[in-house]
Amino acid sequence: MSILEYNGGACLAMVGKGCVAVASDLRFGAQATTIATNMPKVHRINDKCFVGLAGLTSDNQTILNKILFRTKLYSLREEREIKPSVLSNLISTMLYEKRFGPYYVEPLVCGLEGPEDKPFISAMDLIGAPLLAEDFVLIGSTVTEALFGICESLYRPNLEPEELFEIISQCLLAGVDRDALSGWGAVVHIITKDKVVSRTLRGRQD
Amino acid sequence: MEASPVIVSAPLPNVKEQARFSPYTNNGGTVLAVAGKDFCVLGADTRMSEGYSITSRNVSKLIQLTNKCVLASSGMQADIATLHKILLIRLEMYKHENGREMSTTSIAQFLANTLYGKRFFPYYTFNVLGGIDDNGVGCAYSYDAVGSFERVRYSSSGTGQSLVQPLLDNQVAKKHQPNAPLEDVVSEDVEQFVRDALNSAGERDIYTGDHMELKTVKATGITSQKFDLKFD
Repeated sequence: MSILEYNGGACLAMVGKGCVAVASDLRFGAQATTIATNMPKVHRINDKCFVGLAGLTSDNQTILNKILFRTKLYSLREEREIKPSVLSNLISTMLYEKRFGPYYVEPLVCGLEGPEDKPFISAMDLIGAPLLAEDFVLIGSTVTEALFGICESLYRPNLEPEELFEIISQCLLAGVDRDALSGWGAVVHIITKDKVVSRTLRGRQD
Repeated sequence: MEASPVIVSAPLPNVKEQARFSPYTNNGGTVLAVAGKDFCVLGADTRMSEGYSITSRNVSKLIQLTNKCVLASSGMQADIATLHKILLIRLEMYKHENGREMSTTSIAQFLANTLYGKRFFPYYTFNVLGGIDDNGVGCAYSYDAVGSFERVRYSSSGTGQSLVQPLLDNQVAKKHQPNAPLEDVVSEDVEQFVRDALNSAGERDIYTGDHMELKTVKATGITSQKFDLKFD
């Protein structure tokens, strides 16, 4: 079993019309054992920028601390909030610095940026290779195939926030149901230009 | 002129190197079946691969066993071809000995027995059987390589199985949709859905693509259709 599959976990981001949605499962486990069922993998950097982290939980926590440190420092120096595309680049650089002894994380960045609040999503591998997509990105090495199949079918562009919520929830819940190492419910954030709506879903509790 | 011998590779001490011939390979592809009230739709792509190469864009994974039953198989093409041949031969023998075709439920059991017969050198085949039973009700059966089987309403197998199965859970069984009505669907809608599922699998699975074949089993007979998938 690969190190990236040790804790399991899944995170998914989708682009809608003037909004982005990001969702993750809630399981925290060590191989077959489930340790906690209330660990979301999406973290708020600022109201328009969220980071998702799948992979080894230990490295997720370390990287998250480093990201929070760097973004707070950025806000102090620049006197403005960091944009998602800039954060994506920052994380990519941070990970590549450890090219030959990497952090076992798979990050996902999403948010709205610019004066028009244009949606932005991106994902990376453990050494920071960025993947910029226009439709959806997903992370979590144990669930990629399950989520790709259903997202590819159910996603369509220009969904309104409420519709996007339905689609991303169905995709995530159906996808993690077929993975033993992810699940135990989900948390979904819908980010629009004036608010972030967060909902916790109760899925299959196994 | 004499050249001194050059050692190109030396074995490590105390480690025995053994070349191992594997009798199995996976030729890729995705198959699925969705059973309705009085019909069953089976779909499969037609790509055959070996590693990262495509060896054929037009190999059928579906075989009509009787006029009420179709078998879809993924896995190793050599074993698929042999398994299909054996089943056809045995079904023909059954017809001569019993004066009628084997019922779908019996074929389901027979396939399981055939697969388990090679429990210690299995057919590398992942099968999905579909058709209508003796009461005219649509049925689908899913198998593992050694014959463990179960009657289900829908099933998928192959390299695209993990992509397609969650979609089937969500759209056919309406999982996580507590307010969705579980009503009967017509075969045309199911055919369109199977096409969409294979299209999506073809997008993200490198071993699925080229063309797809659909067979719909109804009491009136079996209809076949063929559509294009991406060639990439």
